[in-house]
Amino acid sequence: MLAKLLKHELKYMLKFLSIFYSLAIVFALLTRIFLSIENSFVFNIIGEICSGATIAMIANTIINNIVRYWVRFRQTMYGDESYLTHTLPITKGTLYSSKMLAGLITMLISVIVIAISVFIAYYSQANMEMLKTIFNTVGVALDVSVSTLIIVMALTLFLQYSCLLQNGFTGIILGHKMHGGKIGFSFLFGCIVYSLWQMLGLLSLFITGLFNKDILDMFTTNNIASIDGLKTIFTVICVYYALAVIINFILNIKLIKKGINVE
Amino acid sequence: MALLQVKNVYKSFSDKNVLKDVSFSVESGRIVGLLGKNGTGKSTLIKLINDLLTIDKGEILINGEKVGVKTKNIVSYLPERTYLDKSMTVKKAIDYFSDFYEDFDKVLAEKLLNDLKLDINQKLSKMSKGMQEKVQLVLVLSRKAELYILDEPLGGVDPATRDYILDTILKNFNIGASVLISTHLISDIERILDDVIFIDDGKIVLTCPSDELRKKENASIDEIFRRMFRC
Repeated sequence: MLAKLLKHELKYMLKFLSIFYSLAIVFALLTRIFLSIENSFVFNIIGEICSGATIAMIANTIINNIVRYWVRFRQTMYGDESYLTHTLPITKGTLYSSKMLAGLITMLISVIVIAISVFIAYYSQANMEMLKTIFNTVGVALDVSVSTLIIVMALTLFLQYSCLLQNGFTGIILGHKMHGGKIGFSFLFGCIVYSLWQMLGLLSLFITGLFNKDILDMFTTNNIASIDGLKTIFTVICVYYALAVIINFILNIKLIKKGINVE
Repeated sequence: MALLQVKNVYKSFSDKNVLKDVSFSVESGRIVGLLGKNGTGKSTLIKLINDLLTIDKGEILINGEKVGVKTKNIVSYLPERTYLDKSMTVKKAIDYFSDFYEDFDKVLAEKLLNDLKLDINQKLSKMSKGMQEKVQLVLVLSRKAELYILDEPLGGVDPATRDYILDTILKNFNIGASVLISTHLISDIERILDDVIFIDDGKIVLTCPSDELRKKENASIDEIFRRMFRC
């Protein structure tokens, strides 16, 4: 059943997201074409406009990847479509898992599309060299390989995204549980839940600081943490967000299992 | 054992008690009319049976099981509102039902849609509300369920189509299955009812086989209802 739900969820979401994917790639191609024409002021201007449009489409892809899921969650869990969703012979856990999984899959697809768009629009020997230099510098500074650095960055962003997506879901669930169909309360609860998780993250860093002077110094002085301190911070953040995602996931399923009151 | 048992159910919204100590049962193979004026708790009761609302107090059992995945496998529910994703075509909606309900009969669905002259390739967003309701009704009746729950199935349908729909219900619902129909359009529906349940102000005020009630009161169900609930 999870596979079937996932199939329908992905079909629905990709129908919308594919518009932004296509536009991002088309504008990236146009950027490439117009910026490659030399000695033409007009084409250069058009190229810059296309470049701006490419970046706008990339931003749209990311924003839609989150906001669309929240809207869809509300529609299918509490709106008109909830009459179908909640009468399907599936458990609440499967239902929620399908929404989370679909969100993560489309985020992965979005990242690939963004990478392709950026590559098409801006690839050049000079840009690649610059990127390599940046990664090498940061890698050397942190005493890690470039591949480890990229993996840690990707993992942190992925966990942050999962957390944000779920915080929105929690907000919608709590908003509906406490104030019926008022969307403002869902938004408010979403913000509160997100802020709480971020504050808990800071608290866990502070607690780590009680055992690590470098990190504690960041809270009590203006000193920047040492390389070892930064590594510890990255590790704590990754572990914290991984735990936050798992705990939030379980909490949301428990909240849904307690029962839904549709509009 | 009754197919559907509703035992001492209470439900309130904020301070308003919508259902108060509601109890009744539906036996297998019966067509039961849940009749009441607007706002008397019919839809709330049906939503509770379909896990769309949480019960404050009491118990609902379907085939001896509490409402859950097992009961949803045997209940085919038609809500009072349009609930399909409007960006779907009718064909996609059929595929959706076919994916999730093992008892869904695709061939029957296509036949019924054809009878109602509904285009299978048309998008739901391009259809009128009445047409969308017909599509939903077809989807619901194309399941070989044990209990059909139809909330106001005739509400948005033109009078000319009502008879067709009632005949379709009679002809197509699974043999041995039960149908619970909630409506206030009693005169349209009373010819197919085996039993009636009258609900008023969140309470069950009468439960009776329809023939017995007609004989006893020497009037149609519609007349009895009008007499009973005159404003």
